[in-house]
Amino acid sequence: MKTNWRGVILLTLAAGASPAWAATPPPLPAEHLTIATVGPKSPHWIYVVDYAYDNEIDSRVWLFDGDTHRRIGQIDTGFIPGINISPDGRTTAVATTYFARGGHGTRTDVVEFNDNNTLSKTGEVVIPPKHAQTLAMLFTIGYSADGKFVYVPYLTPAASFGVLDPAKKKVLGEIDTAGCTLVFPWGPNQVSSICESGRLLTVTLDAQGHEASRTTSAAFFSPDEDPVFAQAVPLKDGYAYLSFLGQVHEVDFTQPKPVPRAPWSLVSGAEKGVWRPGGVQIGAVHRAKNQLFVPMHKGGDGSHKDGGSEIWVFDLKSHQRTARWPLDIRASGAVVAVQVSQDPTPLLFLATEKSHLLILDAQTGKLQHDEHHLGQTPQLLLNP
Amino acid sequence: MIRAAAVAAALVTCGAQAANPAQDYVLNCMGCHGTAAQGIPGKVPPLANALSRFMRTPEGRNYVLRVPGAANSALSDDQLAAVLNWLAVTYESGAPAIQPAPFTSTEVAAVRRQPLLSVLATRSAVVHNLAMTGPTPPPRY
Amino acid sequence: MKILDRVFENGARSLAKRTSRRSLLASLGQVLTGVALMPLLPIDRTARAQEPARPSADEQSCQYWKYCAIDGFLCACCGGTSTSCPPGTQSSPITWIGTCHNPGDGRDYIISYNDCCGKVSCGDCFCDRNEGEKPMYRLSRNNDVNWCMANSESNYHCSVSVILGVAQE
Repeated sequence: MKTNWRGVILLTLAAGASPAWAATPPPLPAEHLTIATVGPKSPHWIYVVDYAYDNEIDSRVWLFDGDTHRRIGQIDTGFIPGINISPDGRTTAVATTYFARGGHGTRTDVVEFNDNNTLSKTGEVVIPPKHAQTLAMLFTIGYSADGKFVYVPYLTPAASFGVLDPAKKKVLGEIDTAGCTLVFPWGPNQVSSICESGRLLTVTLDAQGHEASRTTSAAFFSPDEDPVFAQAVPLKDGYAYLSFLGQVHEVDFTQPKPVPRAPWSLVSGAEKGVWRPGGVQIGAVHRAKNQLFVPMHKGGDGSHKDGGSEIWVFDLKSHQRTARWPLDIRASGAVVAVQVSQDPTPLLFLATEKSHLLILDAQTGKLQHDEHHLGQTPQLLLNP
Repeated sequence: MIRAAAVAAALVTCGAQAANPAQDYVLNCMGCHGTAAQGIPGKVPPLANALSRFMRTPEGRNYVLRVPGAANSALSDDQLAAVLNWLAVTYESGAPAIQPAPFTSTEVAAVRRQPLLSVLATRSAVVHNLAMTGPTPPPRY
Repeated sequence: MKILDRVFENGARSLAKRTSRRSLLASLGQVLTGVALMPLLPIDRTARAQEPARPSADEQSCQYWKYCAIDGFLCACCGGTSTSCPPGTQSSPITWIGTCHNPGDGRDYIISYNDCCGKVSCGDCFCDRNEGEKPMYRLSRNNDVNWCMANSESNYHCSVSVILGVAQE
């Protein structure tokens, strides 16, 4: 092709570029493809679990930076997983199901271990095909406090839990829980499950992960009058079980066996039955500041899964409400999950019914960021 | 497909009573144990042609009251006794030849709060002993 | 109204994945106002509190009376009906139970919410209502667990609601 040099020069001048005889920028160098790194850990990171309801075999976890508002990376988690983070923060453990042909075929259940420094899978243990497949919560897989045991609730529908050695990647055994469900670990070798009778069953294990003894607490709630959410809120000294009508049943796990404390109320007499806790992850605690954050909604019987339109903040010592933050949920959707970072300038993370992640200043309630679409159905937030 | 006819019939005929064992069964047990109390092989034990046979001996009665569905159930002692007695009569093909003494709420209250440690192992031992003295539940399910 | 009901359910899939119809009413109304159309329904931010959602006689609507404790995709939108699983799926032998009020005859009915299993999520007509629903420790009344768990093919596709009988009180 004959180059029209006059045309080229005219075009170049017209475009405002320097004339051909001035220096053009050198060509861009060839690039090198690398793998991004996770980077130094920040207390403002949040693991956002997306159960992907419309495509349930395709759940995943997003690691999101609450300061830069960027996704750091993803962990794949299979079908209706249980997810938790090791006490040292280094590993995300996932109890999940895979079918041999994607959506059907032989069912294999595994506990997969992921390195949180690289977001790579580093190992797995095949478990019996009966891991409890249920609502997102922190109690469908758990670690002992020293990280030596992993506990996985089973449901067939008979209830039990598996005990795993995460270091050796072995199943050590299975503990029958007499119909009581989920795992609430404490200390190096104690696991509680919550019972229809309104009690906690607590099993103590020996060094091999087999049952050494078991005990049952006093009944502390009525499943008929005012049930508690199975999704307990972890405390410094145990777990708090919130009821549908807003009672807080703290259970002290530091005693030889778990002891329920006298309940206190999130709501005043006038508010009771009107304002209620609700959603999926229904409470979070800032341990150093002794604060409890709860998503609250106005609703009646049957509204316990409704997301919150307000965040109420409570002092765990005085049991008083110290703040009440209404949210504009028209665009973002009601709040189904709450989590708070544990640093001195904490962030409050809220996942909503419309797949937003809201980030608030946890001291003032001021909205800092609205991430519009973090997953399909984000419902569980972890901040180790 | 659900064979709900028997359950529906039982619900209608019960009427308004203080204890409604058929309805208590439906609301609290049937979801897992099935509309004909048949259980699921390998997963949920049958109550049909099983429960009444456990009730023949003190050891069997003790077992039945301490299984998870009984020990931890939200049903009161009265309600639990009524449900078990109703099941034992309604879902036993060998009745009335097999007709165990009904549970009383006193007997229920005395036993049920000690849940079994190992349900399958206990069941196996109890069935083994029952087999030596008369009609017995299936050894496995 | 039937078309509007379908719009809510279908529109919900792109707007929100896990929302009851009441909040959809509020948000959809707001969207319509934003584009200068007459809102079809009053916008009330506290509507979730006490306003009873309009019951529907349409089994493809989340407000159908039988669905008072359902959680999942309505099989009626997935090739089945409220009493039949879609072709090629299997019903779950285990199930959760609810008690729903039928405004048509004023009776309370006991409903069995079986799951249909063996295929991936239907993805249409998600509906989560929880009247009388209880947490997982009260398994027979809990709609959170995968009730396909005991099937040989245990993937979850959709949920039905089958009348068992009239509730006696």
